[in-house]
Amino acid sequence: MLKVKDLHASVEDKAILKGLSLNIKAGEVHAIMGPNGAGKSTLGYVLSGREGYSVEGGSAELDGKDILDMEADERACAGLFLAFQYPVEIPGVSNLEFLKASLDAQRKMQGVEPLTATEILKMARAACKQVHLPIEFLKRGVNEGFSGGEKKRNEILQMLMLQPKLCILDESDSGLDIDALQVVAEGVNSQRSPDRSFLIVTHYQRLLDYIKPDFVHVLADGKIVKSGGPELALELEENGYGWLNNSAYEGQNA
Amino acid sequence: MSAWLEARIARADDNTTGQSWLAAKRQESLELLRESAWPTRKTEAWKYTPLRSLQGFSCGAVGTAAVVDKIDDLNSIDLVFVDGNFDTEQLSVELPEGLSVTRLADADRATQAWAAKRFACIKPERHLFGLVNDVLFSDGVIIDVAAGCTIHQPVRVVQQLSEGAEAHTRVLVRLGEGAKAAVIEQCDGNSESFNTLVAEYQISAKAELEHYRFAFQVDKAMSVGGCHFDLAERAQLNSTLVGFGSTLSRVDVDIHHGGEHTFAKFNAIYLLDGRELFDLHATVEHANPNGRTIENIRCIIADHAKAVFNGRIHIHRDAQKVLAELNNRNLLLSDHAEINTKPELEIYADDVKCAHGATIAAMDEQALYYLQSRGVDRSKAQVMLSFGFINELVDQMPNQILAEWLRPQLRQRFSQMEVS
Repeated sequence: MLKVKDLHASVEDKAILKGLSLNIKAGEVHAIMGPNGAGKSTLGYVLSGREGYSVEGGSAELDGKDILDMEADERACAGLFLAFQYPVEIPGVSNLEFLKASLDAQRKMQGVEPLTATEILKMARAACKQVHLPIEFLKRGVNEGFSGGEKKRNEILQMLMLQPKLCILDESDSGLDIDALQVVAEGVNSQRSPDRSFLIVTHYQRLLDYIKPDFVHVLADGKIVKSGGPELALELEENGYGWLNNSAYEGQNA
Repeated sequence: MSAWLEARIARADDNTTGQSWLAAKRQESLELLRESAWPTRKTEAWKYTPLRSLQGFSCGAVGTAAVVDKIDDLNSIDLVFVDGNFDTEQLSVELPEGLSVTRLADADRATQAWAAKRFACIKPERHLFGLVNDVLFSDGVIIDVAAGCTIHQPVRVVQQLSEGAEAHTRVLVRLGEGAKAAVIEQCDGNSESFNTLVAEYQISAKAELEHYRFAFQVDKAMSVGGCHFDLAERAQLNSTLVGFGSTLSRVDVDIHHGGEHTFAKFNAIYLLDGRELFDLHATVEHANPNGRTIENIRCIIADHAKAVFNGRIHIHRDAQKVLAELNNRNLLLSDHAEINTKPELEIYADDVKCAHGATIAAMDEQALYYLQSRGVDRSKAQVMLSFGFINELVDQMPNQILAEWLRPQLRQRFSQMEVS
């Protein structure tokens, strides 16, 4: 599904990703953990096509298609979805209008008939219910005045509506209480399927109690330094990232 | 005065048939005009709005303007002026009870008696192009709503201008005590032309006016005009201005709180592109206590366009307990676009609550990226964000049929405006 090879990327001439490789097969859930400043959020932004992030080398393919030359909207239409760590507030544009524009654009690019306003409303209502957001939120400005938890749930709502192939969740658990965390996790779990993959970026093991990953990777200083099964997350929770500075490990990594 | 004006005054006498009852007013205005200096770049009120293009304009061959499109479902009473002349053919509906529409030239003695008193008295005395219009207007209507009457059909005054046309038209509106009505002023045209549309509104005690001015002249169609309101005790005004720019577009709005417990809301949206110019001067006079004003002005400027906003709220010494808010927000879509904004508060009363502010910002890149990350392409995302910037004001329009009519036109406008 997603093949990232030796990806190098920088922001304002500062190298952030330094040869990151990652291979996610259809249906798999991968978690990326790592200390602050390792480049976790950058990975999400680079893959989704945010401006200001320049790719210096390597490749990234989604379903065999090179995505690095695509505009952000083309990547979205190709099936990539990024749940933002800090979703953006857009006053004056209603949530429903935003969902409709996104669905219309994606379906147009995919050559599928657009959904009717009634169909979209019906889907949106069901999605609201699933992420425990009142239906009135559809009429409000996108994320306008939403609490932190509401914003995160709104990201999941968009994911439910857009049905992407690859979902990147950028710290979707940060700032959430236990109930909201469960809502987010349930949203993700309900979407797990053999033809959809997830990349979950998180600081904490907690989210992974609810969303069981198939693989866990440690990202440090711009590359994956260790990969393993779900047990790796527990190990990190226990030991922290101090071992990264360990010289023995450096050697192994070289 | 300018040569441009002299030439017109010399010609003006031919077209005032049936309006001799206004001759004294015209004469007064002419004298004021002769005393006034023609604006230059040093004239504060015209600093950013040069009149060069006007001076170069000469009335050419006048074509025939098309029949004005009805607005679906609005059921409005349309008063159409074609190249400055009232087109009686296009007024086909029967007027509801309590509403009368009289052409200036056809006014009977009773109408003349009150109209002569109010005519040219609601707009400020030294309003330059108001004076020009006083002297030059060739046609006009008096719209009178009887006391206590509610007119459900909006009255729409449309100015249509064909290439080379010059039009000076006049509208005088009176809402009797407790009356309610909606009036729409609309200027259309895209070829080289010039109009000075001046509308004066007398809103009597407890009356409510819903007002719109759609300044839709674009390209080389020039327009310099104004709408002026006088609110008597407990009168209410809810006004919305929507403008596109052109070579020269200027509107002066004056709201005079002439009684106590008055309420005025004025929302304005203007969207400029290319090398267009739009200048809005809004003046609010609180001459009496307990009045309230809310003004929201939003402007989006693309390419090399230039916007001017001057918003003045003047609270007189005895006007205690006034609440006034003025907010001006501008969105610049290009590095070459220009906005000159000047909110002014002048307060002489000591127990009032006033706020004013102006902001200028560029398109929010983060919001653009967010929309794009969901599949919306950049140009569509820009249209959505532009719309988002003014949507609130469109939603606030009391007549939602009109808002629905407006939305696609705004969308069309946004899709032409490039972000650079």
